Amino acid sequence: MKLTLGKIFIEDVQFGKDTKVEGKTLFINKDELLDAVGESEYIDNIDIDITHPGDEVRITPVKDVIEPRVKVDGPGGIFPGMINKVQTVGSGKTHALKNVAVVTAGKIVGFQEGIIDMTGPGAEYSPFSKTHNIVVVANPREDVKQYDHEAAVRQIGFKAANFLGELAKNLTPDEEITYETLPLLQGVEKYPDLPKVGYVYMLQTQGLLHDTYVYGVDAKKIIPTFMYPTEMMDGAIVSGNCVSACDKNPTYVHQNNGIIEDLYEKHGKEINFVGVIVTNENVYLADKERSSDWTAKLTEYFGLDGVIVSQEGFGNPDTDLIMNCKKIEEKNIKTVIVTDEYAGRDGASQSLADADPKADAVVSNGNANEVIVLPPMKKIIGMTDYVDSIAGGFDGSLREDGSIEVEIQAITGATNETGFVKLTAKEY
Amino acid sequence: MVKEIERAGIPVVHICTVVPISLTVGANRIVPAIAIPHPLGNPAFDKDEQKAIRRKIVDKALVALTTEVDGQTVFED
Repeated sequence: MKLTLGKIFIEDVQFGKDTKVEGKTLFINKDELLDAVGESEYIDNIDIDITHPGDEVRITPVKDVIEPRVKVDGPGGIFPGMINKVQTVGSGKTHALKNVAVVTAGKIVGFQEGIIDMTGPGAEYSPFSKTHNIVVVANPREDVKQYDHEAAVRQIGFKAANFLGELAKNLTPDEEITYETLPLLQGVEKYPDLPKVGYVYMLQTQGLLHDTYVYGVDAKKIIPTFMYPTEMMDGAIVSGNCVSACDKNPTYVHQNNGIIEDLYEKHGKEINFVGVIVTNENVYLADKERSSDWTAKLTEYFGLDGVIVSQEGFGNPDTDLIMNCKKIEEKNIKTVIVTDEYAGRDGASQSLADADPKADAVVSNGNANEVIVLPPMKKIIGMTDYVDSIAGGFDGSLREDGSIEVEIQAITGATNETGFVKLTAKEY
Repeated sequence: MVKEIERAGIPVVHICTVVPISLTVGANRIVPAIAIPHPLGNPAFDKDEQKAIRRKIVDKALVALTTEVDGQTVFED
């Protein structure tokens, strides 16, 4: 499967009379975007705001972050099974509007999650302080059921991103990269001397606001399966989760997974990147056993020499991570696990809820319990009413002057476990 | 908590969903639970069935509490 990704670098986003890309500026007619997003029986009102890197703006609670993309050539459309019909994506040509993101925000169900500061110390921790953000604030009707509300806001984000992505269809990309993964036997034959490496992509699947979707399927209902890495680039995996926002993968991260991009970078040179195994992190022990059995079985079946395993979230998924690691190692396949830590505010506690001596190669993306003070911002997009009760917040987190003392786990993407961050941890 | 209470000389049964974590932290008597969001019940069932599920787990825990163990033991069905 071969995909050419054309990148169009946007330098500014503004409201305008017409929705279009002119030069390096994305102009948005607010009414057209609202029309494209459409009405929802579960949503009372929707507003759209634009914010830029360096603005004195805080966005919270953040639900999802999405990159606008469009299929230019090849089967299917972006977000198959969610926006476009179910069809295998990941081949042909796709265009992406870079440096911009759709951010969905507003009162989100029960847990109120995710902070993005566009400037100040908090901005250093969120990769989405560097993008021009089109923030869609959706306020629910009062009597809406939690599951309907979550699904409605999730879908609103994809519709907005899809609408903006369409603008890129006839643009000439500033940069093009072609990614190719051959069918297994051909791929192995092509680089017989290079070690065969796979990627086990763990997806958060623990219920309301803790779910992920693969081609429209709630991933808690899948058994681990194989995917071509380019399928992710066309939105085959999307986020439905944002609780403890630091280490959840917004849809943007699934579209731009750094582990996949880096493995492609080394493909054919140092390693033979064979493909991706997607798996889940369910709340029943039997599911955890079954899924980790299957990831190990698939890595063995594909004849892999090494595997990178990335986690999403923390706590009980630490067990899924360790089970994957242990069972794959037992097949005599080397593993590196990619995670983050909840080591207490002083960093002195045990970092993961589970452990095993076989997990002897670990990449950490930082300690989510670290405390930060976020200074007041001139403007809030969304609301700060819930800061005291978000994960990483505590009674008194929100101070009278508008500053927030909070663990970095409240910041969207701060310790992302695909390495989509600046933070890391080293052992001395 | 399991380890600290046992250190004081009182036997403990750990009812938990993720048995491997309980094994890692060093519990001696482990009774598997239903699921992480609802360890002692299952919202998919009606009230009477839920009560039966809870009673079964608690009964099993009481049996575990009064059973001599030699090292870490998981009390399966």
